[in-house]
Amino acid sequence: MISGRSNKKRGFIEAFELPPQTLPLLLWNDHPNDDDDDDDRKGVENSSFIAKKNDDGYCIVGWPPIKFRRKKICSHNRDDNDRTVLHNGSARAGVGGGVNPNSKYVKVKMVGVGIARKIDLSRHHSYQTLTNTLINMFGKCQQDAQSFKLAYQDREGDWLLAGDVPWRTFIQSVERLKILRIGG
Amino acid sequence: MDSKRKKDSPESNELTRSSPFPDEVLERVLGLVKSHKDRSSVSLVCKDWYNAERWSRTHVFIGNCYSVSPEIVARRFPNIRSVTLKGKPRFSDFNLVPLNWGADIHAWLVVFASKYPLLEELRLKRMTVTDESLEFLATTFTNFKALSLLSCDGFSTDGLAAIATHCKNMTELDIQENGIDDLGGGWLSCFPENFTSLEVLNFANLSSDVSFDALEKLVSRCRSLKFLKVNKNITLEQLQRLLECAPQLTELGTGSFHQELTTRQYAELESAFNNCKNLNTLSGLCEATPLYLPVLYPACMNLTFLNLSDAALQSGELAKLLDHCPNLQRLWVLDTVEDKGLEAVGLSCPLLEELRVFPADPYEQDVVHGVTEMGFVAVSYGCPRLHYVLYFCRQMTNAAVATIVKNCPDFTHFRLCVMNPGEPDYLTDEPMDEAFGAVVKNCTKLQRLAVSGLLTDLTFEYIGKYAKNLETLSVAFAGSSDWGMQCVLSGCSKLRKLEIRDCPFGNEALLSGLEKYESMRSLWMSACNVTMNACRRLAKQMPRLNVEVMKDEESDDSQADKVYVYRSVAGPRRDAPPFVLTL
Repeated sequence: MISGRSNKKRGFIEAFELPPQTLPLLLWNDHPNDDDDDDDRKGVENSSFIAKKNDDGYCIVGWPPIKFRRKKICSHNRDDNDRTVLHNGSARAGVGGGVNPNSKYVKVKMVGVGIARKIDLSRHHSYQTLTNTLINMFGKCQQDAQSFKLAYQDREGDWLLAGDVPWRTFIQSVERLKILRIGG
Repeated sequence: MDSKRKKDSPESNELTRSSPFPDEVLERVLGLVKSHKDRSSVSLVCKDWYNAERWSRTHVFIGNCYSVSPEIVARRFPNIRSVTLKGKPRFSDFNLVPLNWGADIHAWLVVFASKYPLLEELRLKRMTVTDESLEFLATTFTNFKALSLLSCDGFSTDGLAAIATHCKNMTELDIQENGIDDLGGGWLSCFPENFTSLEVLNFANLSSDVSFDALEKLVSRCRSLKFLKVNKNITLEQLQRLLECAPQLTELGTGSFHQELTTRQYAELESAFNNCKNLNTLSGLCEATPLYLPVLYPACMNLTFLNLSDAALQSGELAKLLDHCPNLQRLWVLDTVEDKGLEAVGLSCPLLEELRVFPADPYEQDVVHGVTEMGFVAVSYGCPRLHYVLYFCRQMTNAAVATIVKNCPDFTHFRLCVMNPGEPDYLTDEPMDEAFGAVVKNCTKLQRLAVSGLLTDLTFEYIGKYAKNLETLSVAFAGSSDWGMQCVLSGCSKLRKLEIRDCPFGNEALLSGLEKYESMRSLWMSACNVTMNACRRLAKQMPRLNVEVMKDEESDDSQADKVYVYRSVAGPRRDAPPFVLTL
């Protein structure tokens, strides 16, 4: 199940070092462009741009520069996750920003909750924002969050505890999420 | 101005005229001048010519809707029948501009309603158009004929229904690549039964079903229909029936090309295409089953434009198809055809002038396919007339580009996108400076350039030094310092549009172009090193420019994350949303 870490049972908040106050929730259904530039700005903060091979893949909004319509066609043959994204995108009104072409939707199941949800990981850049969103998504408050832990299934099919590897490594390998009760 | 006074006719009371032609003659002559650039030049000759030009102009092109107001346009040009308007900055195509930024057509329509009641044509690009506006358009302008919406947003199929219902003289309805709310295909059925004037119909971009019965009847009764582009929901069988009704088509966009056909259906489809001897443009072919491509062959003889960007063809399939298209001038493909497919292009299309290669899987990291520099080189050997290229690839070399522009020195549009930002020459590991240096040195007619890959300031030194006809430059993830941008601003005398993202250009670069910006349409800089103070200085020193800033959510107070600078005679925007700061 959770490899090699069963003796390290940590609360949600403890695991991800959330500050005591509530972080602002990222609106992940509206305003798709608001948090876009964060990732790629890191590369250009220096006055001389040093090209880095971006091993996380394209987490850059609007890159490559392909028009909205074309993105839909190109993604047509991809897997389930993305197809769901497309479906949502085309049903949305007045789509100028529309579907984030770099979406990474994964399923999230919470123990005891019948219906799984989906979350777009591309909108998050840290475990903090992710867990906050998840807390709210499942209708829990900060205190409740203490009794849960977040696990993820990676590409090899192994279940691991989220938070142990750097965010960038996590985001590359995560396939699905599960929220488990501590001590249960 | 002519200082000699010609003898005026007795009827004329304009004794101080300097022009040898009466107004009517001059207007007649100038009325034949179509190009808007020529018309601009004409209007600058002298006052008489300015007046004659403004009275005789029937079509106005406005490249930036905020550069002028509809009132000013109407005052200057009293007889306009056709308007082309462009709105948002081009980077809005790539999600860099938030929704509700502006460029709403409505204010324009209100003015046109009183000043141009006989308006016939409206062509909009990157504008916001609501259903109310479409309804207003349809019910107000009784002579309205042609509507073209490209990359617009804000409307739904309800707006289209209003157009179909009320515009009795419609000849053109062209809806392309828009962010539209597709509420259903009922709009098509709104064309009245006695409506027969349609010549152009393009709804390829819409996703819901239209009534095929209504479509078939519409196509049958519109005997002048020349361009028909249907959406993906139209099956091959339905397509065949449409072609039977309209063999006179010159431009066709098919629906999906993968229905399962019986032998008889296949034969009928082939026969239908065989009857379409006038086709010069073919597109659509969504999810094309290669097995059915041969039905197209009889119709390909006169094809000049083939758009396969929705059909993920392999190299062999493309090669076979191109064998039947000897007169091809423009080709758009997906990179599924790979270098081998592009070799076939080089072999089969000697008349090719334009090539666009789009990535089938742009966000996939582990792709081992797609096209490389070899494909591009192969095309350049076989197609010496090539002058427009848009090429998405994952690797490129300086040497390859040098070869390409040696083979094809006539490039007017060179848009190369190496998809990994900051990617060097993959053989030498050097920056791609020499590649673009070769482009600008060899291609003296270059008007539009998009650069990519690992680039230092040297690229921009080359551009500033050699690209004397350059009008549009797109830059992303490139350059080393302010010097790069300064070279471009000082060297490219004909520069009109400069769009930059994620480059280390800062205040010094921005402020080095003060006077330059007044001769340009616009400047866009996002995710660079420009501060709010520098933008304020720019705005203060250049009152005829609009300097607008959009800030990102978590950015520093002093950073100007997205800067849009453009000249305007209309003053600052009055409709700017709160997130657009006008300085």
